Amino acid sequence: MCCNENFNDRNQEEKVQTTLHLEEISGMKFFDPHVHMTSRTTDDYQAMADAGIVALIEPAFWLGQPRTGVDSFTDYYSSLIGWERFRSSQFGIKHYCTIGLNSREANNEALAEQVMELLPHFIFKDGVVGIGEIGFDDQTAAEDKYFRLQLELAKEASLPVQVHTPHRDKKKGTQRSMDIAIEHGLSPYSVIIDHNNEETVKEVLDRGFWAAFTIYPFTKMGNERMVEVVRQYGSERIMINSAADWGISDPLAVPKTAALMKRSGISMEDIELVSYRNAITAFAQSGQVDEEDFLRVKNIDQSQKFQSNSILRGGQQPRVDKNSIIIS
Amino acid sequence: MHLTDPHTTRTIDGLFTSIIHRHLSEQAEAWLQAKATAVKTEQGSMQLNMAFAQLPRMTTKAALQLKAEEVQEIDALMPGLSVTTWSIDQLSRVWLLMQVPDADQDSYLKKINGLFIAAEMNELVALYAALPLLSYSQEWAFRCTEGIRSNIGTVLEAIMYHNPYPFRYLPETAWNQLVLKAFFTEKDVELIYGLMERNNKALQQTLKDYVEERDAAGRTINPWIHRLIKGQ
Repeated sequence: MCCNENFNDRNQEEKVQTTLHLEEISGMKFFDPHVHMTSRTTDDYQAMADAGIVALIEPAFWLGQPRTGVDSFTDYYSSLIGWERFRSSQFGIKHYCTIGLNSREANNEALAEQVMELLPHFIFKDGVVGIGEIGFDDQTAAEDKYFRLQLELAKEASLPVQVHTPHRDKKKGTQRSMDIAIEHGLSPYSVIIDHNNEETVKEVLDRGFWAAFTIYPFTKMGNERMVEVVRQYGSERIMINSAADWGISDPLAVPKTAALMKRSGISMEDIELVSYRNAITAFAQSGQVDEEDFLRVKNIDQSQKFQSNSILRGGQQPRVDKNSIIIS
Repeated sequence: MHLTDPHTTRTIDGLFTSIIHRHLSEQAEAWLQAKATAVKTEQGSMQLNMAFAQLPRMTTKAALQLKAEEVQEIDALMPGLSVTTWSIDQLSRVWLLMQVPDADQDSYLKKINGLFIAAEMNELVALYAALPLLSYSQEWAFRCTEGIRSNIGTVLEAIMYHNPYPFRYLPETAWNQLVLKAFFTEKDVELIYGLMERNNKALQQTLKDYVEERDAAGRTINPWIHRLIKGQ
């Protein structure tokens, strides 16, 4: 997350365009199971597609500005299954989402009650692969209450759960989240514990949960540390994501980390598991992930031309040369 | 009140039923029929909402394989309507909408509008494609106009392509927006039903301005714009 006041220092630093060397990861495909595309630009979509990201999951989250009414939630959830899904398809990326009431806004109890009534309208929609991201922020009683209610909802709907673990007091917050999930009778195999670090990973894996790692500068995991985690713990039930949002974050975190792992001598099998396959295995428990759709969303424009007219279905975005100063 | 008379609607319903029968597994068809029965009898809209959302899980999203005579029959029953580019889930969703009881207008409108409000991308496509087959046709003109404001390409196409609803029910200003938006978003305007029939002076004037603007920007001009301006 952003919000530092160091922009003067930052802006004065050398301006260099560092780019991922795509040839290092050419032919590889990636799944980013946690990225907030609502907060990103179309340039990011293009860069993600170029880097081999074929599918992503956008968890419902806090938008940076507290919502004051339930209609704002309705429109947000609708945008995740409507407009954002279309925006993603224009770049050939299959867009899934998880739907839930985030921990921060669970603290507005009057609103949270209304959101709980709204959730059943959305969780059975096509392409909704779980309840998320839910869990703890400040670890208040209200957060505890709505976390539990949403775990019950996930159980009823047979959907996986994407659990946000807190920034502050992380270790205890993570343990508490797992305890509560077990208490409510969820199988650890259907629960993805997110934003892990070196301090939390062992217990998460030992207890049978999925351990997701967010590669996010400054506040979460760096990818050099991530390489060491995979060296130590292997690739079983481990997945990486970018959690890119409105902060200084990186929507290419998954392919970049894969490139770094390759350079560091991690096996291609392990890289594939943590940057693609494990996320699919975990979230496909929803019955909503079909790998053939990754191809279908790519081919939709080519295969569905109308009456041999060259106009593309749905309007695929034409590529723009970002290095040119000419804008036509 | 309706775009079609009850007899025509029943015939289209029967035709859709037989196409669905050919495409669905026995299990999926039984599920859909059971849901249709539930939708016909429920007071609220829970069964409709759930079935409408979950439908592709049962039907798959395969492309339709239509017989030539089916395509012809649909066009004869409702000129301008074509389902050739629909998928089986879209056809099944539209058919399900045709099962919603319409005796009580308020209840009917509330049920269908409820689906629009929380619709996922493909659900929106099915809803807008279904406009000519819904009851209380003129009640959907505002919804259709809202749909033309969408930025989702597939939603625009569901309204613009092979859909007789806009031609029959949109007021002139909304019709002109549809045509302009089609040009702006580089749609295949040949697929707009009634394009030449609803040509009008206001549209021609706007298109003339548009041509000048495109000329000034050095951009290409769709030949259909000239045809509309000339009126032939």
